[in-house]
Amino acid sequence: MKRIPVAVVGAGPAGLAASTELARLGHEVHCYERESVAGGMPRHCGHQGFGLLDLHRPLDGPAYAAELVRRARQAGVTLHTDHTLLSLDGKRMRFCSPEQGAFEIEADRILLALGARETPRPARLIDGIRSPAILTTGALQRFVTLQGRRPFRRAVVIGSDIVGFSAIMTCRHAGIEAAALLEEAPFLRVPSLLARGEEMLLGTHVYAGCDALSIEGERGRIEGVCFHWQGEERFIECDGVVFSGEFTPESALLRQSRLSWDPRNDSLPVTQGFGTPHPGIYTAGNLLRGALAAYKCHAEGIAAARSLHTGINRPPAEAIPIATPTLENLDWISPSLVDPTLPHPYLTRLRFRRPTRGTLLTLLNGREVMRSRINARPWQTVTLPWFGQEVKEGDRLELRFF
Amino acid sequence: MIETIDLNDLFSVRPLPFNPEEEDFDVIIVGAGVVGCALFKEFAEQGAKTLLIEKANDILEGASKGNSALLHTGFDAPPESLELACIKRGYEEFLRIKDRFRLPFLNTQALVVAWDDEQLAKLDAILAKGRGNGIKDLDLLEPDQIRRREPRLSPRAKGAVLVHGESVIDAWSAPLAYLRVGLAAGGSAVFSSPVTGGEYDGQLWNLQTPRGTFRGRLVINAAGLYGDIVDRIAGFEDWRIIPRKGQFLIYDKSAYDLIRSIILPVPTKITKGVVLTRTAYGNLLLGPTAEDQESRTDRRTLRQTLRMLQEKGEAILPGLNEHKVVATFAGLRPASDRPEYRVHRNERGDWITAGGIRSTGLTSALGLAKHLFELSGLPSRPVDYQDPVVPNISVFAPRDYERPGYGRMVCHCEQVTKREILRALEGESPAGTYGGLRRRTRAVMGRCQGFNCLADVAELCKRVKAKKEGAL
Repeated sequence: MKRIPVAVVGAGPAGLAASTELARLGHEVHCYERESVAGGMPRHCGHQGFGLLDLHRPLDGPAYAAELVRRARQAGVTLHTDHTLLSLDGKRMRFCSPEQGAFEIEADRILLALGARETPRPARLIDGIRSPAILTTGALQRFVTLQGRRPFRRAVVIGSDIVGFSAIMTCRHAGIEAAALLEEAPFLRVPSLLARGEEMLLGTHVYAGCDALSIEGERGRIEGVCFHWQGEERFIECDGVVFSGEFTPESALLRQSRLSWDPRNDSLPVTQGFGTPHPGIYTAGNLLRGALAAYKCHAEGIAAARSLHTGINRPPAEAIPIATPTLENLDWISPSLVDPTLPHPYLTRLRFRRPTRGTLLTLLNGREVMRSRINARPWQTVTLPWFGQEVKEGDRLELRFF
Repeated sequence: MIETIDLNDLFSVRPLPFNPEEEDFDVIIVGAGVVGCALFKEFAEQGAKTLLIEKANDILEGASKGNSALLHTGFDAPPESLELACIKRGYEEFLRIKDRFRLPFLNTQALVVAWDDEQLAKLDAILAKGRGNGIKDLDLLEPDQIRRREPRLSPRAKGAVLVHGESVIDAWSAPLAYLRVGLAAGGSAVFSSPVTGGEYDGQLWNLQTPRGTFRGRLVINAAGLYGDIVDRIAGFEDWRIIPRKGQFLIYDKSAYDLIRSIILPVPTKITKGVVLTRTAYGNLLLGPTAEDQESRTDRRTLRQTLRMLQEKGEAILPGLNEHKVVATFAGLRPASDRPEYRVHRNERGDWITAGGIRSTGLTSALGLAKHLFELSGLPSRPVDYQDPVVPNISVFAPRDYERPGYGRMVCHCEQVTKREILRALEGESPAGTYGGLRRRTRAVMGRCQGFNCLADVAELCKRVKAKKEGAL
């Protein structure tokens, strides 16, 4: 079995940033990517909005991805594209590649940056017919940006995460009429600057609080989307439906490999140093909790790489889980573990699925150590500051609403 | 430059393999569901000149595309019925051929679990019925025995009947193998050919389709959801199909290990009830519902119903709610206005109906095929043929990516390679529909439902279609 010092799995913004940083710190880095081209999700985001905050220049998604790949190569990272991770057992990984078929590699340190994906229609249990023209934003972007194809003429977008608006932009770029954007929740999941209630946005009707959504049609051909809005039944004609947002980590393989699991994030538990309960295994990027912007994943990749580098000779600590048994509508919490041997820049970050306000208590061994007033919208990240007391192995940490 | 791609038009209609004017057949089988495919295999293997005609552009496009993929023993089938006889014979036949054609098979065993005292009281009768049906391997389990076998099952289980023989198979590869055996043994198959009418000319049936009139001495109606309509051609008008919808949920592969056995409820008169089982593809399946309806095509799923299913599943298996649903679907069973199979033959003996074959059809198909061959009176002249190959898409055997040279991984969730997709599109009895491709390869069937691979898969389909149409 081949043995390597550092393996990074996933060559998106987090994985590439981590690989580049580790190589610059002097490590021999092998970065494995399942797609034929490295770069990750920005590769098919054929619009501007990348690069300014991390690479300090405005780029579109594909150019941003290409630049990250160039930097990794220049730093000496060995990139292995078309390499699929099949399973992980301790530090032994089973991969397959078109050249070798299935094979095993053992790595001293592993950094997992597997990314995230949107929640497609079946998992949302949306009523109606089945059709190949029911896509996610990611699938639509791959049609348009990577294949140069227009899979339908008139689309309804379902889900008002920021990426729903990216879906509208992609439709416009491809000459697809984006007939409407529908949200089941009674509120939109983007700041009100972008969209206010039922107003038109970029020529697209936006409806929040849609009930009884149903995809109508015959024999795989979509005729429209039916829904109830403000007590009235509405029908919007279309020949394609795009489900956007509700990002979920690409973590199923890790769960199948029986790694420890945090159901709040649908992913591995993670410390403020991007470590996991498994010695030598680190994670970064959207694998931790669902999607944040590329530049944030990029920054996490660098931070994780530095932590891996400084932690190489340090014995693993018993990390303290941050418990949230009573927090409803928690979307994710990251980090979800506190490593008492590492510095604490902040306690943790949280997101809620619904608008949430109140006073959040931090309890250390059952005793209140901090009160934080929060007023969070679904697109806002709440950062809880460090409460200023040292914690040690065996302590209990809990967050609870007052 | 952005070009339009029609995702409902990625496959070309297959050319007819012969000129209908020039061929007469010993037998024409109408309908390429699991029953039609099994009949095709049996009659072709026995040396009959056999034609399979199908309305859709691929096999398994009707009732057979959505089921729970279980191989039943017949322990709960109606005693002394044709259904029971065919299930038992089909089960034995499947065991006999599974290694030869490398058909996935996992003997999970099943537990018929009683969740209250009323159900508990029925277990003895279930046991007695099963033994009466000739199924020997049955045991009554106490709650602690259930817990040892299935520690994650709800502790409310009051008792169970353990059915040793119940098993999980791949409900799509098996009928594909039957089709390929039929073809290898000299049979012919035509697709995109709905039977619109027919008449008997004194010697032959002339079955009309938009692609020509096909002639045969014997017709076997295995038209599934359209069985009653096709039967009117032969003058049988005394029965009708009442499609019974069954909605299902598929859980992600992380849920596969939650149970080992198939978990069955104590059945009612209408349905076997909601089943929880592993699948051949490494998932957990929950369903079906039983909803009678008029439509023969309406496979809509409803959130309310699926939520109700989830609640039932979580009551049986409390850890289920921590796992993700990756797919939902609805199947239509070709139930009829009577509970039993509608198998009959006309007085002249040139028309046989295999109708109303409901949930048990996947198991009984091979047995029913043997029964109907005997009923046909055709001479048995077994044919030698080279065994066809059906690629493995189950988790019970190594997959294609284990071997080098697979091109690239196209579908990451279900680990489907480009080599597998091209073989399904261009190889022997290729996929004729998008569903057919999915059933042959598992592409786009996983947790991301095409987020990563749909554009790539569609492009491969489009290219192969263009190539085939260019070649014509």
